[in-house]
Amino acid sequence: MAEAHRFGNVIAPITCHAWNKEKTQIAISPNNHEVHVYQQNGTDWKMIDNLNQHDLRVMGIDWAPNTNRIVTCAVDRNAYVWTQGDDGKWKPTLVLLRINRAATCVKWSPDENKFAVGSGARLISVCYFESENDWWVSKHIKKPIRSTITSIDWHPNNVLLVAGSTDYKVRVFSAYIRDIEKTPEATPWGTKMPLGQLMAEFPNSPSGGGWVHSVSFSPDGNKICWVAHDSTINVADATRGNVMFKLKTEFLPFLSCTWVNNRTVITAGHNCMPLLYSLDASGQLAFAAKLDTSQKKEASGLSAMRKFQSLDKQARVEVSDTSLDSIHQNAITCLCLYGGTKVGGTKFSTSGLDGQLVIWNLVSLEKEIQGLKI
Amino acid sequence: MSATLRPYLTAVRHTLTAAMCLDNFSSQVVERHNKPEVEVRSSKELLLTPVVISRNEKEKVFIEASINSVRISIAVKQADEIEKILCKKFMRFMMMRAENFIVLRRKPIDGYDISFLITNFHTEQMYKHKLVDFVIHFMEEIDKEISEMKLAVNARARIVSEEFLKRF
Amino acid sequence: MAKNTFSSAFRKIDVDQYNEDNFKEDEGDQSGPTGPNENEIITLLNQYPFLKFINNSEALRAVLTNAPLGSKNQQIKDQALNITLRVLLSIKGSQIDDIVQSLDPELIDVLMKYVYRGFEIPSEGSSGHLLLWHEKAYSVGGVGCIVRVLSDSKRA
Repeated sequence: MAEAHRFGNVIAPITCHAWNKEKTQIAISPNNHEVHVYQQNGTDWKMIDNLNQHDLRVMGIDWAPNTNRIVTCAVDRNAYVWTQGDDGKWKPTLVLLRINRAATCVKWSPDENKFAVGSGARLISVCYFESENDWWVSKHIKKPIRSTITSIDWHPNNVLLVAGSTDYKVRVFSAYIRDIEKTPEATPWGTKMPLGQLMAEFPNSPSGGGWVHSVSFSPDGNKICWVAHDSTINVADATRGNVMFKLKTEFLPFLSCTWVNNRTVITAGHNCMPLLYSLDASGQLAFAAKLDTSQKKEASGLSAMRKFQSLDKQARVEVSDTSLDSIHQNAITCLCLYGGTKVGGTKFSTSGLDGQLVIWNLVSLEKEIQGLKI
Repeated sequence: MSATLRPYLTAVRHTLTAAMCLDNFSSQVVERHNKPEVEVRSSKELLLTPVVISRNEKEKVFIEASINSVRISIAVKQADEIEKILCKKFMRFMMMRAENFIVLRRKPIDGYDISFLITNFHTEQMYKHKLVDFVIHFMEEIDKEISEMKLAVNARARIVSEEFLKRF
Repeated sequence: MAKNTFSSAFRKIDVDQYNEDNFKEDEGDQSGPTGPNENEIITLLNQYPFLKFINNSEALRAVLTNAPLGSKNQQIKDQALNITLRVLLSIKGSQIDDIVQSLDPELIDVLMKYVYRGFEIPSEGSSGHLLLWHEKAYSVGGVGCIVRVLSDSKRA
């Protein structure tokens, strides 16, 4: 129910990853300025391309499934849109973000005609392709953001987006671009949606504090969930008058979250394993299950040889276990849907600081974990 | 007295585990730079509440965390003059070789004897729980080492004075 | 500018602080609790010894629910801290477990904040006792409770 993969021989953290439409190819960044595209070859992975245009660390990758374009953003204040040529190689096109600090995250919109980039310049760049001049232009959403944007997600209507920031707030903005789309219909978030309009703002915590690490729109677009540094997971519902529900957890803070259907959220973070939370009918969130079912590794008895080796190499007598009893050995930073869509997710993939990519099968986990209903 | 040692170290361990949730964060003040925010302190929203854990009036640990770095300062027990001198020299010895320790800071914070600076780059390369183990182990060993050194100093002083006084 | 005023003080101004985009701490609502009533708490603590357990947990609950976390007035906060520490230190070690089990999660977070504040002003034997409180609160609140002490901007 969980397969772990490694790419190449390097044990570098995977900053972020993105799948293509058929989930046969994956684009990952091994904690540097490059993006590697791997093709699945049975159980092995073969590197088919190295996208090497950025100067500094790549912070976000998103792969548009239908138009088959990859967008990447990096600390060097640039974003590139990559299109695949006939020879299978990817060619970059520079996007003028007009930001003066690092870009932190990027997401294609559901219709894939624009994408949003969050940055440390305290603004969101919404970029679309202007066909007259044959380049990508950006429009800025600035007010009232006061600190770095850490995470962005789009509403299914292709117009609204939600952004989480280190100023402890989650905001829903309108990213309506008049040139490329028609006027959107009213949603529970509001009716008037000019570009940059703040539709809703949620402070993370009444006690103040807690950087927002990840945000996600529910499949029907009426709810948003976010995870923050105060070890909480929160849901806000527009159909209930923007009421917020906060669940304080006893785990370390989460770094990413996503909906797998209208009532279930998966999150993962510093505790190195994905967790499942479900929303009940009254809008209350509750812990459902830990999705990592690895058993604690059997300490096969401290053999005399191991003791001597430890004494010899490290001058230490006791040999406590270095490895954690979970599949991921370090924090999980990125979570993507692998099978199905947000409406009904069946599989998801996680990548983390330990350089592993793990694919989890929700259907078989549901059978395995007692009492779990997704 | 030693009954507080285990709870003290456990409390420090849990607090360190909580404080060491570090994430890569590019500076929002200087473009293309990545600085440990706990040292720069330019953006107040990126810093967490600093906490102290004390075992008694003399021994305490001060933990300041931020989004991409954490600073841990330790005040070591120094009961008398000899221990003060030994502690100072020992800490200075280690801080001069801070590069080899990777996570050690070259100067302690005011009011403390030694400080560590752990950044997200360290937690990417090393296991977080082992970093915590290292700091706890360090705290335990420091006390033992200083006591041993004090015994050695006293023993040597006794031999020296004996030899000297044999002349008379 | 240096020529006509003969001063170069303008070079030392931190221009960044005037950037209107900077993060500003929320003014905060002063409407939160203004601190526990000192007399009430002392009465509870000094009452009949055989009711000690109930009174102690009542005192603790009162002190934690009325904690002036949102207040900007340092004096109110210091007063509340002193009272809370008195309550924490007067509760015996054997009772701590039961009392902590009976508190709800919100109050456990507040309790943890006061434990850490208590560490900052160590007195005779106080740290040892606070370490016991820390351990018990951790067993209920987990590491998430400690994370909230670090990340909440409303401090004890």
